[in-house]
Amino acid sequence: MGRKIRGAGRALWEGLIIANNALMANKTRASLTTLGIVIGVVTVTLMMMIIQGLNKSFQDQISFLGAKTVYVQRWPWVWDDDWWKYINRPRVTMDQYEQLRERIVGAEEISPMAWTGRSATYRDKTLDRVSILGTQQQHAIVGSTLPEYGRYITDIDDRSARRVAVIGVDVRDRLFGPLDPIGRNIRIASKVYTVVGILEEQGNFFGDSRDNIIIIPIETLFTDFGRVGRDVMIAVKGRDDVAVEDLVDEIRAIMRGTRNLKPLDEDNFAINRQEALSDLYDTLTGGIYAAGLIIGGISLLVGGIGIMNIMLVSVTERTWEIGMRKAIGARTTHILWQFLVEAMMICMLGGTVGILLAFAGGQLLKQAMPAVLPLWLAGAAVLFSAVVGLLFGMFPAAKAARMDPIQALRAQ
Amino acid sequence: MSKIIQLEAISKIYEIGDIKVPALNGVDMEIDEGEYVSIMGPSGSGKSTLMNLIGCLDTPTSGTYLLTSENVGEMTDNELADIRNRRIGFVFQTFNLLPRANAFHNVELPLIYAGMSKDDRQEKVEYALEKVGLQDRMKHKPNELSGGQRQRVAVARALVNDPSLLLADEPTGNLDSATSYEIMDLFGKLHSSGNTIVLVTHEEDIAAYSHRVVRLLDGRISSDEKQEPRRIASSTVIASA
Repeated sequence: MGRKIRGAGRALWEGLIIANNALMANKTRASLTTLGIVIGVVTVTLMMMIIQGLNKSFQDQISFLGAKTVYVQRWPWVWDDDWWKYINRPRVTMDQYEQLRERIVGAEEISPMAWTGRSATYRDKTLDRVSILGTQQQHAIVGSTLPEYGRYITDIDDRSARRVAVIGVDVRDRLFGPLDPIGRNIRIASKVYTVVGILEEQGNFFGDSRDNIIIIPIETLFTDFGRVGRDVMIAVKGRDDVAVEDLVDEIRAIMRGTRNLKPLDEDNFAINRQEALSDLYDTLTGGIYAAGLIIGGISLLVGGIGIMNIMLVSVTERTWEIGMRKAIGARTTHILWQFLVEAMMICMLGGTVGILLAFAGGQLLKQAMPAVLPLWLAGAAVLFSAVVGLLFGMFPAAKAARMDPIQALRAQ
Repeated sequence: MSKIIQLEAISKIYEIGDIKVPALNGVDMEIDEGEYVSIMGPSGSGKSTLMNLIGCLDTPTSGTYLLTSENVGEMTDNELADIRNRRIGFVFQTFNLLPRANAFHNVELPLIYAGMSKDDRQEKVEYALEKVGLQDRMKHKPNELSGGQRQRVAVARALVNDPSLLLADEPTGNLDSATSYEIMDLFGKLHSSGNTIVLVTHEEDIAAYSHRVVRLLDGRISSDEKQEPRRIASSTVIASA
């Protein structure tokens, strides 16, 4: 057994040396042949890089929603053509928020959210449309919206509906420039608010700045901009030891109870979570990815056929060598292995060149769109090239291995 | 003396479509250890077929072939490959050396197929190249060697695995006459040191160096005679060395 393995190891090493010699003898031909593989690997790798990049960017963008945070709303984030079902649903109210807050045990924190869009003015500078979020002090934790400096809104602000504002960095930069905004007054619509804090930078959500925001107490928002007909959204951050599914179940039970739904009634509210967006994203992009991979696959197939062709030429050219090797005692498997190794080496060479090109291309691509080259992908591409070599080298190698030594020796 | 080769009623019939072409027709022959035999015959006489059978590249249609008492006719392809590897050393008319590999590596090849360790190979290859007088040419590639030297590398490759039989097919066919003498001298020396040699040739001049000449005609042995081998004039050898 040990002898067999040693023999196989030697045959592999020998195969590598022979293959290397054969490739060096035909540098131009080898590089032209491998071009198909190079193109295939570049295509597939670039596709994968873009996919990986988009995925990562998507995950980054939706991460602020929080993996452990769910949102109770009238509308689901993703729906089909049944919008009429949602439009007639009752709104989520502050009352329901209070009840949920009181009863829930699986939550670390829970906060209400209400939105409006208004202009914001400081002296002669006006921002036309700023997102105004009304919420409570615990939203700093639930929504990961901590102040960078200054302070956040408090329960006291909320209870007395004080006109205080925590502003995002975009609002600060565009209204105040280099000035320190803390303590200064801004107008939201026509109401005068005092800036008490600046938010940490929040980043983008699909092109929209999440820093073009002003956070005010939710009571103030109701007082200044209207309570009736305004949707409230409840953000619930689950405890670390509670599964998101269990949290969703608990919220559903409480909400149904609060809304007096009968056992057979459908939910008339939606419990949204990050995952819904991921699923939508996967649906939207899955087809594009599949198409890209098929195109890459086809170029690899063409490359593989090129390899097969050149290996057949190589086998024919070296017929005498095959005859000689058989005459001095090479077994069928030795010859088979020799040509398989050669085909795999050509392909791996192409795979390596392809990866390097794709990597260079990826650096350029990064200027325009997110692209990531994970190490496993580089390894997988080279390995996959070897598999292509193995598959398409099989036929020529088998042809060589099956040759009759007498006929082969005559072929010079 | 023990017998290296025992051929009994060997026939080989090629079938081309419906037509049967007999290449060998009941050949009986024995070759003892240490013999130096030439096989001669015009083209179509069956001498190539006989050589292929003796070399275990082919199996007979009927009859038995014992090589060092092993029945070759019943062997699988892999067993035949192993027999060729260990028992037979081939020398070809066109040398058949790998052009990109040096002398050492060319001679090493059969030992790799035998699965021998690197240290053992090193020792055996050096010894074989020494025997053919090329110990100082080990790192040379075939295109850096003369025709005679190339054939000597091929002979070293044939000898390296200590075969029972050295089988040479027109070994001087691609060499000029002076170099041919050099190679025949080498064969003479190898024979003197105990090697069994079978030489296939159509040149009387070359067959004259062997101790026994077997002639084939139309697939049968037409004559089988021992002879006094021609000696190489020492001056020729010195001139070519």
